[in-house]
Amino acid sequence: MRNLRRTLPLLAATVLSVSSLGSGLTAVSAAGPGAPSSGILCTTDSANGTNPQFSLTASADYISMPDGNTIWTWSYGATGGSFQFPGPVLCVNQGDTVTVVLHNSLPEATSIMFPGVDAVQADGAPAQPVFNGSGTLTSLVPAAAAGGSATYSFVAANPGTYLYESGTDSGKQVQMGLYGALVVRPAGHPDWAYANHGQPFGNFSREFVMLLSEIDPNLHSAVELGQPYDVTALHPRYWLINGRAFPDTIAPNDAAWLPNQPYSSLFHVTEQDTSLPASDPNGPNQAPALIRYLDAGSRNHPFHPHGQNGRVLARDAAPLYDAAGNDLSYETFSFSIGSGQTWDQTYQYQNQEHFSAADNPIPVTVPQLQNLTFKDGATYYSGSPYIGSQGKLPVGTTSYNECGEYYMVMHSHALYEAANYDTGFGGMLTLERIDPITPATGTTCTP
Amino acid sequence: MSMPPFSGKVSRRQVLKIGGTAVAAAAGATILPRWAGKSLQGIPLAKAIGPTSPAPTIYKHLIGSDGWISIPMGTVKNDLGAVLAPDPIAPGGRTTYVFGFRNVTALDDNDPSLPFAPGSTTNRVTPSTASNPKVLAQKGHVQHSAPLLFFDEGDAIQITLSNLGLATRPDLTDPHTIHWHGFRNALPLFDGVPEMSISVPPGSDFPYYYHPTDPGTYMYHCHNEDVEHVQMGMDGIVFVRPAQNKTGNGAGAPVARYNGGGAGAPLGYAYNDGVALSDARSTAYDREFAIFLNEMWAQSHYDDAHIQVSDWSDFHADFYLMNGRSYPDTIAPNGGGTNLTTGALIAPTGRPELESQPLSSLIQCNAGDRVLLRFVNLGYTQPAMKLTGIEMHVVGKDATPLRGLGAGGVRNGADTGYHTDTIYLGAGEAYDALFTAPPKTGSGYDTYLLFSNAFGTLNMPGGTGLGGQMTEVRVYAAGTLPPQTAPNT
Repeated sequence: MRNLRRTLPLLAATVLSVSSLGSGLTAVSAAGPGAPSSGILCTTDSANGTNPQFSLTASADYISMPDGNTIWTWSYGATGGSFQFPGPVLCVNQGDTVTVVLHNSLPEATSIMFPGVDAVQADGAPAQPVFNGSGTLTSLVPAAAAGGSATYSFVAANPGTYLYESGTDSGKQVQMGLYGALVVRPAGHPDWAYANHGQPFGNFSREFVMLLSEIDPNLHSAVELGQPYDVTALHPRYWLINGRAFPDTIAPNDAAWLPNQPYSSLFHVTEQDTSLPASDPNGPNQAPALIRYLDAGSRNHPFHPHGQNGRVLARDAAPLYDAAGNDLSYETFSFSIGSGQTWDQTYQYQNQEHFSAADNPIPVTVPQLQNLTFKDGATYYSGSPYIGSQGKLPVGTTSYNECGEYYMVMHSHALYEAANYDTGFGGMLTLERIDPITPATGTTCTP
Repeated sequence: MSMPPFSGKVSRRQVLKIGGTAVAAAAGATILPRWAGKSLQGIPLAKAIGPTSPAPTIYKHLIGSDGWISIPMGTVKNDLGAVLAPDPIAPGGRTTYVFGFRNVTALDDNDPSLPFAPGSTTNRVTPSTASNPKVLAQKGHVQHSAPLLFFDEGDAIQITLSNLGLATRPDLTDPHTIHWHGFRNALPLFDGVPEMSISVPPGSDFPYYYHPTDPGTYMYHCHNEDVEHVQMGMDGIVFVRPAQNKTGNGAGAPVARYNGGGAGAPLGYAYNDGVALSDARSTAYDREFAIFLNEMWAQSHYDDAHIQVSDWSDFHADFYLMNGRSYPDTIAPNGGGTNLTTGALIAPTGRPELESQPLSSLIQCNAGDRVLLRFVNLGYTQPAMKLTGIEMHVVGKDATPLRGLGAGGVRNGADTGYHTDTIYLGAGEAYDALFTAPPKTGSGYDTYLLFSNAFGTLNMPGGTGLGGQMTEVRVYAAGTLPPQTAPNT
């Protein structure tokens, strides 16, 4: 019934910002010219070989919701860089010895734990839970005091997708936003999610992170104002992918108007090129896309990609094959990601029927479009049923379609989560954009 | 080691540094050499489909409108003490305002003044909804859950959706759509998401075309303002029977009785399992039952009937339903189909208040029967459905057999099915489970219960007695019940 929402056309622009940090540091935030407008944005340390080192600062700032609300948020960002939410996607290789230094700019102690990663060291000792003198658990891992720092290190022994998050007063601090994704790539096969399991995704442009979480604005407001709060009364009102709610989810990586929320979650791929032989799994349009799902929230989230089954390669960084090497993957059109879980799935959109106006028109008669509804006078539809084609839309209808591409949605199927507070078609929802191999006449598909 | 840049056009965000170590952005112009190692084929490549897609030979006609259903027990009040359920303006015997669908195909097919659909000698089609007054008369008389739809793999289907508008809320001009949830490689035009293509306003018709190639259990729902329209009741089950029903397989599975198989054949198969009837991985069954699960938030139904707006982030479930009914209504008989004179639904015998909830969940079988349960959850919560006393064998999820990828990249590999007494369904998920009915001799039947294990939900808010997502499995002695010919009978 309600149409209150902010709808954004797709924009491919990215912003380059280079800031000098003093002390010889140079942070390059956002990628350079040609940076991807969607897909994974890895934070790596290429300077230290197999001993990547990351320096993160926990700090506070505002993030923006599509309805205009702002939310006081705690997050991890690059030390000396700007605030970002969620924390950087840390990408390392299997076998690396990884060091993460946490600087704490928050008003209370905080920490980082890496669930699923074995033998994490904190300040040179095993990262054991911390108890006070009377035996009460005070932190799940050793913490950095307010204004202090802590150093965590581990060997990235097993490839996969991992969550990192605060282990200190986690009921509050994780809800406040202290989480991020860690990607461990298999040794020697960085274009695979898991060596010898599944398929290579072939190209980082087909690799995506979807980090799910939820926001209770009352808790954030209470923390901002120093008021009491009750984490047991948590009542989320916003539901996020990569720190944004739809329609912001489809804005490009490093969108200028979302300065603290750099990560797009637009699922942008090209249709499978069935003219390539099946024996060419690495062909440019043949390999499937990989989505690394993470649930950083305290709720389980049922997620539904339209029009495609996901092939579940792994859960919680454990690939689905048995000791004999048998494939145990399975397919889903809806799956529930438990709180704290990670799931790796591949997707491959095929134009299975090869519908086209010239060779295989859809065998039903579509009514005149002016007798149908384009919601709110705007649409992602091309005006044509066929990929790579555009048709006429009724006068007054705004089109977001660029080159005859297809759009579908992927979203939480607890449908109140695909909403911003009381307004539907928002929240934990993003778009699948499937580009044609050949763009519509006279158009270009922005990569 | 630093990652080689991959795509040739992308230099990744390269950032962080540790005290004093400068990190340079990667210069990225190197093409990754192709990995020549082992690879497995992913989802099977496009099946051979003729040069052109077949024209429809099966026509269904659904309407979208509103109506009223009956939930038997319990009163829900808001914080001010006003009664939300049963709704005080509900017509006699009903309690709850819904949006929904109706299948009015029979009203077209039995109107000799209408032309046959192209390629059909059974389905007739209306040039427009306005030309069939019996169809128009169903405005305000939808059903919940939505009509059970099922097709065969490879069918060419046209489902025409006609939006009749809302009888109780003429001020609303909500469009409707059909979203076939889980349909692979969907076209946006037929995917039913109004923002991605079109939606159907009151007074308009739209033909959705489907050519399903993947057997299994799916669901469908309206995707217009989905949080509202799905909650309001525009949702149900659609399933696809496999080609193996018609062909049998070389491993020793005969043609199914659905498609002319003999007395020793199963009624059908859940999937193209490719194995003998005696194989533990067989998906053969003698009876099948579709179990649709959802729940209702009383406030939102009251609000829509009373020209109010709901805050969807306040959603919580009050009533838990199975095939649109709450126990013990779930075990009441099926409705009697459509009255071809008036166009109205025929209520289950002796249960006029269930006229708009025609689908029974009563599971009846003979000892030794193989029974397929097609579970679908389109609620917003996550029920754990328990069958006490009979073990279930889960053979499919989300219209995919539980088999790993085998040779050729098809799902004929390792058996990943499992045995359980509880099936936990997230929102939007579907599971296919088989069980073999336990022994029974003598007259009468043994009763086994199938229910959501959230026991508190089996009581209505403020009410007494049982209700919610529960039904009965009744096992008779072998040979007692005649062979099943239609689902949920």
